[in-house]
Order: sequence, then structure tokens, then C-alpha cells
Amino acid sequence: MRQIFAIGVGGTGAKCVEALVHLHASGLLADQDGTPARLGVFLVEPDQQSALLTRAQIAIKRYAAMRNAVGRNSNRFARGELRDYGQWSPLTTSSGAITLDQVFPKAVLRTKAPGVAALFDCLFPPEEQSAELEVGFRGRPPIGSAVMSRIDLEQEAQTGHWQQMLNDIQTSAGSGDPPLIHLFGSVFGGTGASGVPTLGQLVKNWLKGQGLTSVQVQASLLLPYFDFEGRKDDDTGVHAESRNFQLNTDAALQYLRNSGTSCFDRVFLVGSDTKARYDFSIGGTSQANAAHLVEMLAALAVRHPATNGGGYAHVISRSNKQFVSWDDLPDDEQVGEAIARAARFAVAWKNNISLEINDAQKVSIHTFISGAPWARRFFHLGSREDNQGGRPGIRDQQELTIQSSIDEYCDTLLQWLNQLSSNLGSNFRQELFTASLLVPSDCYENDLSRIVQGKARPQLPEASDTVGSIKVRMDNLSNELIPHRGMAGLADCLWTHVV
Amino acid sequence: MKKNQWILLAVSVAIGLIWIFLLQSTILLNSFPGILQIPGGNLATYLQFGSSPAFQVFWVGCICALLTWIGVTWSRKPRSSIQTRQMQPMWWLAAGLLTIFGWFCLFWFTILQWQVTGTSPVQGGPNYYPVPPGGWVLLLLFVVLDVVLLFWLPTLLATPRNYRLVVPGAVKLFGSR
Repeated sequence: MRQIFAIGVGGTGAKCVEALVHLHASGLLADQDGTPARLGVFLVEPDQQSALLTRAQIAIKRYAAMRNAVGRNSNRFARGELRDYGQWSPLTTSSGAITLDQVFPKAVLRTKAPGVAALFDCLFPPEEQSAELEVGFRGRPPIGSAVMSRIDLEQEAQTGHWQQMLNDIQTSAGSGDPPLIHLFGSVFGGTGASGVPTLGQLVKNWLKGQGLTSVQVQASLLLPYFDFEGRKDDDTGVHAESRNFQLNTDAALQYLRNSGTSCFDRVFLVGSDTKARYDFSIGGTSQANAAHLVEMLAALAVRHPATNGGGYAHVISRSNKQFVSWDDLPDDEQVGEAIARAARFAVAWKNNISLEINDAQKVSIHTFISGAPWARRFFHLGSREDNQGGRPGIRDQQELTIQSSIDEYCDTLLQWLNQLSSNLGSNFRQELFTASLLVPSDCYENDLSRIVQGKARPQLPEASDTVGSIKVRMDNLSNELIPHRGMAGLADCLWTHVV
Repeated sequence: MKKNQWILLAVSVAIGLIWIFLLQSTILLNSFPGILQIPGGNLATYLQFGSSPAFQVFWVGCICALLTWIGVTWSRKPRSSIQTRQMQPMWWLAAGLLTIFGWFCLFWFTILQWQVTGTSPVQGGPNYYPVPPGGWVLLLLFVVLDVVLLFWLPTLLATPRNYRLVVPGAVKLFGSR
């Protein structure tokens, strides 16, 4: 089984991991024979209140909960294994220090190494030295680099959050199918720009030290793709400024050119000339930047085949300046089908099937079945709790728990897809999804024909591209074609027949 | 609609046809002469010119209702089981109206048409067939039986897609595969 270890650094890195989890849920991370890969995710972020970190954690937890609830009762739906290694702050190694002059105590430096103290003053102006780093590295890579460079991976490997992941990497590397380590982060902000190359180098050195040279370390590095709008407050202090993005990017690319191979075996550079607009935020809970297509492209880099001589840096471009379509995605046929399936499933489940299950709780089972013949293929008609012919009751608590876990994940997926399709920047459009349909609704959505646009839309006549048609199909399936019953079996069947 | 549903629809319509045009009058004539016997009249004549035309017109009504039901359930695209179940009262309404229509047909061919023309079906008798009260009850019950045979059975066997368990009794008979 292919094993992928994804490390998201900073807010953008967390958003890329969020995208990767959704791609994994869509079945896009698999080995060559189609066996779903095992994805391990780890988030590195000094800003523990970051809304972006929270969102990524929600996606991770909800997918993991859904997969756990579905268990083995599915052949195709939610098959990809996900391991959450948690989140880690580089500040936790600094004995509670939250400012740069606490990380590098100046009083001690002045006494023991006055030259270094002077250099410290020279490199970091007073406001940077005293800026609280609980909200991240404030868009300043030098601050981040200074903090990150103090990480001792050998020591971290003995305890804490890194331990389990590094152990798993070791175990996986010994199994014959070397794992892939993929880092995500921006090169134009603070945490990602400083953290991704530093961590890449640390991980590479650690692997070398362990004799695990077959393990590939690669990174998706995000170039500027958004701007801030709105103004900072007077007491904001040191903060990320979009006018510095290009400067930070140039410095990062220059560093990569000179020392990139010591950090990564290859890199994927993704950005956008059309910038999305986000409200200004210094960090924390207010930094609720919507998901962006660039993050999905960065996550898709994990699928890029490892070929010898393929080059170090990979870039991607679109064919039309005004819009993006499925043709612009790498491996567009497979990727388009998988994401289209996930989007259509989420709408069909959340906005129709799940509402039907809720309706079944309010009326007698016979009344419900009279309008939903498809349901009896998955649930028995008796009011007793026992299992009949492998079919559990539609009111069994265990089944309702599975329903609720699928509901929650679909909510997250719909939110991500909706933001992805609507957060584009001015004078730019996408021909992937209809954003207005990617929202939870209580209206028993039936029409699936407009959810996905372009060539990824299934080639079905519009009139029969409905949830109603899928219900009829499920009702008419032979028993052999319904391998699992109950809520998980229903989700599996819907997943199979939704495209 | 599935192939076997088309076959079942054709078979049930054929059974209804045979029942109405061949069997029903024979059964009424041979099994219930005591109840239906018209004072001063000929039962066979009444069955030929009174009840049979009534049941044949009623049969046309049933076929129309059946085709309408199949057409509506075939073309509708319900968004939910709630919408699907909304056809249940429509079925009962159709069945109720058909029963009333059947009774009206009997009433027309037995009484009203003679009242309108001012003639008498029985020589020297009143201008209507004097069917005894027990006979009326029997004929009205046959109308109900015909609704079962000509409407319930075909709709039970051939209602398509998500509507197929809406017909009364369908969940009991087909709901536990």
C-alpha cells in the first residue's frame, strides 16, 4: 500500500492539507493497482488559534470519523485510510517563549556572545524582536527561519508529535514500498516560507541519518495567489503585507535555486496571476481565508508520478487567461471524474438522501417505504432492532451515527467546493462547478445535471441526471450488486451510481 | 417501466377484458338469478341491454383511469418520498371516482336512459328495469370488484419507478424483498 505523509506548514500549508484530505476522500490517492493509499497528515503552525488550521483539522477529523463509522461496510466509498498526527507549533520547543527576544534571550546573548547579540539587533528591528508570535511569524520569513532553525529533529523524534510520524515513516520505508513525504506551504508569507525549506532540510537530513535514502521528500510551494483588502489597526504591529509577497517569493526562489536540492527531491510551484481578495487579518480566528483552486492544484502534485529525470521544479499553467476548466488540471480525466463524483455525491447525500433518512424517523416504516422503495434494499421493514437478512433498521442508533458522520463530512466538502468555485478574483471565472448548487439545502435537491460543468459532467441526458433516477436504479439492482447494507451500504451504492 | 411490468400490465388488462366482456354476465346469470330476477322481465335481456353496456362503459372509464395513472407516475419526477407519497391520496381519489362512475353507469342504463326517453324496457312495465334491492346491492358490489380487478391490480403490478409501492397493499406484497 502506498503511504503518503503530508506536512502542512503555516496557514496556506494547512489549507493545502485540507484540499489533500478532500482529494483523498474522492479516491484520488491510490497506488497503481487502484488500492487506496494511506495518508498521514501533520500540521505545523505557531498560530494555534488559526482559523485555517481549525478548518483543516475539521476536514481531517470529519473524514476520519466518517471512515471509521463506515468501516469495512463499503467497497468504494471512503476507502482511503487517514492518519492524523495532530498539529505542532515550533514555539513549543522554546520553553513557552512567544517573542523572538524570548526565543533568543538577549540578556544571555549580550553576556555570552556580544557579537551575536549585535548581529541579532542588526538583523531584527526592535518591533520584530518583541512581536508576539502566537499569531504566526507575521509574514516575515526571517523571524520564522530564526525560530525554525532551532528545531532538533533527532530530539523531536524521541517524543511528542513528531515521534509517531517519524516512526511510521521508518516502518513504512522498511516495508519495501518507500513512502512519500510531501510538504506544503507558501513561499511568500512567514511560517510557510521559513518553515517548508527548513523542515524539508531537517527531514532529509534525518532520513539520511536513518539510512532511508529511498524516501522521496517533495514540496508544493505556493507562489502569491491572493492579496489583502481592508486596513490594519494601529495596534496591529508587525504584520504580513501583500507588497512584500513578491520580495519574499524572489528570496525563496533564489534560495531554492541555490540550495533547493538539500531540502527536497523535487518541488511543485503553483501560484496565480489573478489574485483572490481576502480581508486583512494578522492571524488567529479572524483569518478565515476561503479555499482556493491553487491549493487544490498544490495538493494534486502528490499524484504526480515519480519519474527519473523528470526535473526538479514543476510548474503548471492554464490554457485560457480568463477562465480555468477541467482541461487545465493535471491528469484531468481521472481527477475530473473523481472530484465530480465527490461533488455530486455530497449534494445528492446531504440535500436529498439524508433528508429522506430524517423523514423515515418521523413516519411509520411502511409509510416511508411506500414512497421510497429503494430504501428497503438497505434497511429492513420491521420495527424491531434486530438485523434481518443483513439489513439493519433505519432507526438503529448505529446507523444514525453513520448518517451523521457522512452528513458532517459532506458539509465540509460542500463548503470547500463552494469556496473553491467562487473565490476566484476579479474578471476570472471557472468552468468546473456551479457554486450556487454546492450548498446544504433542505429542498430535496433532485437535479444533478448542473453541479459539475464541462467535460467532467457525466454524459447523461439532463432529464435523467437526477437523484430520483439513482433511487430507481438502486431499487432495481440485483442483490449481488449491493455488497453492503445499512447506511454505509447506501452511501457506497450512491457513490458508485452517482456518475 | 420495466419489461416485466409491461407484460403484467398487458396480462391484467387482458384478464379485465375477458372478465367484463365474457365472464361477468355469465356469472350473474348463472350464479345469482334469484337475487337479480326482475319481476315480469327477463334477466338475460336485462344483462344484455342493461348491465352489460353499463359495465362496458365502466370498463372504458377504468382503462382511461389506468392509462392516466401510468402516464402520470411515468412522467413525474418526485424529489422525495414525501412527494411520491402524495400520489397515494390521488390513487384513492381515482378509485373512489371510478366506483361512483360505475354506479352511475348502472343507474343510467337501468333507470335514467328510460326515464329520459320515456319508454319502458319491460313490456307494460315501468320506464326502468325494476331490479330488486338485493340485486342492486349485488351489482354495486360487482362495481367495487371491477375496480379492484381493472384498476387496483394493474396499478399494483405496473406502477413504475419510485411510485411502485404507493398503491395500497404494495408494501405488504412487494416491500420485503
